[in-house]
Amino acid sequence: MDVSQYLDIFIDETNEHIQALSDNIMALEQEPENKDTINEIFRAAHSLKGMAGTMGFKRMQHLTHDMENVFSEVRNDTVKVDSNLIDILFKCLDAVEGYLETVKATSDEGTEDNAALIKMLNDVLDGNSGGSSDDAGDDSPAAEDSAPAAVADDQVGSEDPNGTNHFLVLKLDEEGLSKLRSAEEDDGLKLYGMTVHIQKECLLKAARAFLVFKALEDYGEILIYDPSSQDIEDEKFDLGFSVIFASESEDLESIKASVLAVSEIESVDLAAVTVEQYEKASEAEDTSASEPAAADDAPAESAAPAPAAASAPAAPAPAAASTPAAKKAANKPVTTRTVRVDLEKLDALMNQVSELIIAKNSLVSISSSSENSSGGLDTQSWQSQIEYLERITTNLHESVMKVRMVPIESTVNKFPRMIRDLSRKLGKPMNLVMTGEETELDRTVVDQLGDPLQHLLRNSADHGIESPEERRAAGKPEEGTIFLNAFQEGNNVIIQVGDDGGGINTEKVKAKAIERGMVTPEEAENLSQKEIIDFLFMPSFSMAKTITDISGRGVGLDVVKSNIEALGGNVEVKSTLGQGSTFTVRLPLTLAIIQALMVEIRDEKYAIALGSIQIIEDISIEDIKYVEAKEVVHLRGNVIPIIRLDQLLDFEPLDNEPSNLTVVVVKKGDLQAGLVVDNLIGQQEIVIKSLGKVIDNNKLISGATILGDGEVAMILDVNALM
Amino acid sequence: MGAELETLDEEKIQYIVVMIGSEQYGLDISVVDNIVRMQKITRVPKAPSYYPGVINLRGEVVPVMSARLKMGLEEDEITKDTRIIILRLEAQGLVGILVDEVKEVITLGESEIDRSNQNTNKQDTTYINGIGKSGDTLVSIFEINAIIDEVEA
Repeated sequence: MDVSQYLDIFIDETNEHIQALSDNIMALEQEPENKDTINEIFRAAHSLKGMAGTMGFKRMQHLTHDMENVFSEVRNDTVKVDSNLIDILFKCLDAVEGYLETVKATSDEGTEDNAALIKMLNDVLDGNSGGSSDDAGDDSPAAEDSAPAAVADDQVGSEDPNGTNHFLVLKLDEEGLSKLRSAEEDDGLKLYGMTVHIQKECLLKAARAFLVFKALEDYGEILIYDPSSQDIEDEKFDLGFSVIFASESEDLESIKASVLAVSEIESVDLAAVTVEQYEKASEAEDTSASEPAAADDAPAESAAPAPAAASAPAAPAPAAASTPAAKKAANKPVTTRTVRVDLEKLDALMNQVSELIIAKNSLVSISSSSENSSGGLDTQSWQSQIEYLERITTNLHESVMKVRMVPIESTVNKFPRMIRDLSRKLGKPMNLVMTGEETELDRTVVDQLGDPLQHLLRNSADHGIESPEERRAAGKPEEGTIFLNAFQEGNNVIIQVGDDGGGINTEKVKAKAIERGMVTPEEAENLSQKEIIDFLFMPSFSMAKTITDISGRGVGLDVVKSNIEALGGNVEVKSTLGQGSTFTVRLPLTLAIIQALMVEIRDEKYAIALGSIQIIEDISIEDIKYVEAKEVVHLRGNVIPIIRLDQLLDFEPLDNEPSNLTVVVVKKGDLQAGLVVDNLIGQQEIVIKSLGKVIDNNKLISGATILGDGEVAMILDVNALM
Repeated sequence: MGAELETLDEEKIQYIVVMIGSEQYGLDISVVDNIVRMQKITRVPKAPSYYPGVINLRGEVVPVMSARLKMGLEEDEITKDTRIIILRLEAQGLVGILVDEVKEVITLGESEIDRSNQNTNKQDTTYINGIGKSGDTLVSIFEINAIIDEVEA
C-alpha cells in the first residue's frame, strides 16, 4: 500500500499526539488521580497506535500499543502513577519521537525494537495483571492483551497458538477435510493457513476481506473460510478471519506481502499447514469437551491487537519483512515544511482577494468612463479608489503574514518536560512558569527559536537556580522558579527567560575576563555592569565551575546571541545579584515587510525600521557636546550619542554644515542613539529584499527595498549601528 | 549536409562577446540570464570597491559588478553602449556584470579555444580559462566562477 502521500499528515499528527501525551503526563504527575487527564492520555496513545499501524510502522505501533495498555490499567485504577512510571513513560515518548525522526529522515521507522522499554512497560503491567484480569471484561481489551504481549517478550518466537494463529485451531468437518486432502494429495499443492487481522478503525471490513481473497486468488484457491464466506461477505465477523488455501507457490513472504498491501489490514499470520494437523484436531475435538468453541469468538477479539504486539519483536523471519510496502518508498527524506492554517485566516484572505478584484474593476471602469467623457480622469474618484486599493493591500499583507504566523506554543511546550528532567538530574527542585504561549511569530522564526530558548532555560536551571540549601539560607523557597514570558510589543515579540536564582556575579565575570586576557584589570574597573555582562556573550566564555552535560561547554550564550541575531532579533540581560537574572529576547514580528521611515542623505535614500525609531528631533549644532571625544546630545535627561550617518556611510563631508541637524533617535533595548540625516522623506511600507550573496557581508545594511519609482534604497540595520 | 556534419563533430558552446576596455571577452551563454541597458545603480555602502551597487531588475535587487574594476582596469565610462549582463549562477543567484559593449554571439568548439594561457604576466589571466579564435579576432573566455567569487570579508 502506498502510504507516502499521508506521511506528512502522519508526521504532523504524531507530533501533536506526542506533545499532548507529554503535556498530560506532566499534568498526571501533578495530580495522579485526575480522570480527565488519564482519559486524554489514553485517547492520544490510542490515536498514535492507530496511526502507526495504518502507516505500517509495526515497531512504533508495538511500543505505543504497550503504552496504551499501561494507560488503560491506570484508567482502571489497577496501576498507580508514581514518578518511576512517569519516567518510563517519558522514555517511551522519547523512543516514539525517535521513530518519528527516523520516519522523517527515511520514510521508514528503522529497526530499533526498544525491547527494553517494552519489557519495562510489561513489568509495570505484570505487577498488577493478576488483579486486573479478573474484573476487566470485554470493555478492556488491553488487560487481555497484556498477557500474550508479555509472553512474547520473554519467550521469543513462541506465539500463543490459541491467541494468535487462529487458523491453527480451526475445526473442520469431514467435507472441509476432504477438500484439503484432495488439494494436497491429488493436486500436489501446498496448504497454507492464514489469519488476517483487520484494524479496529476499519469501516468496510467485508470489502477488505474481499480484497484479501482477491489477492490470494493470484496464488491459489481458498478452500476453507472461517467464518464462512457468506458471513464474511455480510460482515458477520469481528476483526479477524481465517482461511486455508492451496497454492503452488512456496513463497510465503510474497503471499503475505500482497495481503498486507490491502489497506487497513493490521497484521497477517501465515504458515504452511497439513491435512494431518486438522485431522488430529478434529479427532481431539470429538473426544474433548467443546471448550475451544468458546475460543472461537474470543481470540478474534483479543487477537486483533495482540498479534501485532507479539509478532514485532518475536519471529525474526516473518516480522523482518513486515513492512515491505514502506520499505519500497524508503530512504528519501520526506519532511516538507508545512503550516497548518486556521480556516478563518484563509477566509479572510479570500475575502480580501475578492475586494482586490473589485477595486481593480473600479479602476478599470473609471479609466474607461473617462476615455468616453472626453475630459481628463475624474481625479476624485480615482483618488478614492487608490486609497481603497491601498487599504486592501495593507490588509492583504497582514492576512498573508497571519497565515505564516504560528503560536510559539509548538516550540515552547516541550520545555516543561525538559525542566522536569533537569530538575531531577541536577537535584534542584524547580518549576517552570510559562505565559504567553499563544504569542504568534513567523513560522520560520518559531522553528529556529527552539535551540536558543532551550539554551537559556538550561542556563537558568544549571547556573541560575541555586541548590536547595543555598536557597534556604538566602530565605527563598526551596523550589526555584524559572519563567518564560512571551508577549507582543509593537512590531516586536519579546520573550523573557529568567529565574529567581542567584543572579550573575559580575565580580566573578570580571575576574574571568581578566584571567582570559579580554580586558586589563584597569580597564575592568571602569566597565559598566552591562559591559561586564556582555562578556558572557563572547565565544567560549563559560562561567560554569564544573563542566556538566547540561551547560558549561563554552558553546553557549554566544551561539544564542548569533542565532537570535540571525533572526533579526537581539538579546539583553538584566541581573540582580541574589535575586535572579532575566534574558530578554526581542524578535521582529515579520521578516518580509516592515513599516519604515525613509530618509535622505545627500542624494541617496535610506530606510530605517519604524519599530526602532523613538523620536525625531531638530537639534541645533550648539547643543552637541563632547564626551570622550564623541558627539553626544542631552535630550530630556538622556545623554544620547550622535551617529553621523554620512561619515559612517562614506559620504563626502558637506562644505558648510547647517546650523540645525535632523536627528532620528533610535533605540535598541535601553540603548539610544541619534542618527543624523539630511532630510526626512516620510513613512512607507517597504518590502525587504536581500542584497544577494555576493555583497551580503555588510553589517550596516540589512537589505534593500524597491521604492515606488523603481529606485533601490538601502535599509539601515539599526542594531548594528549601536 | 556539410554544415550539419560539422555541428555533430564536437560539442559547440555559444559565447556572448563583450568589450571590456579594448579587449573582447566571451561569456558562456548558458549562465547568462539577460542583458539589460545601463540603469541607475544604487550604491551599497561598505561593499567591495568593484561592486558599484545594486539595480532593480523587475522587482529583484541584483548586485552589479564592474568587470573593469575587478580586473584592475580604470573605472567604467558609461556610454550608450554600456550594458549589464545578468548572470544566473547556482551559488550566488543573480549577479550583474557591467561591460562596455555587447558585440555578438559566437559559437566555438573546444578545438577553437586555446587553453594554454601563455600570457601569464597579464593581470586578468586568473579570470580567463582560454583564448577563443573567432574569424580573425581573439576572444578571452571568462571563467565565471573565478570572476564572481565569494567576497573577501
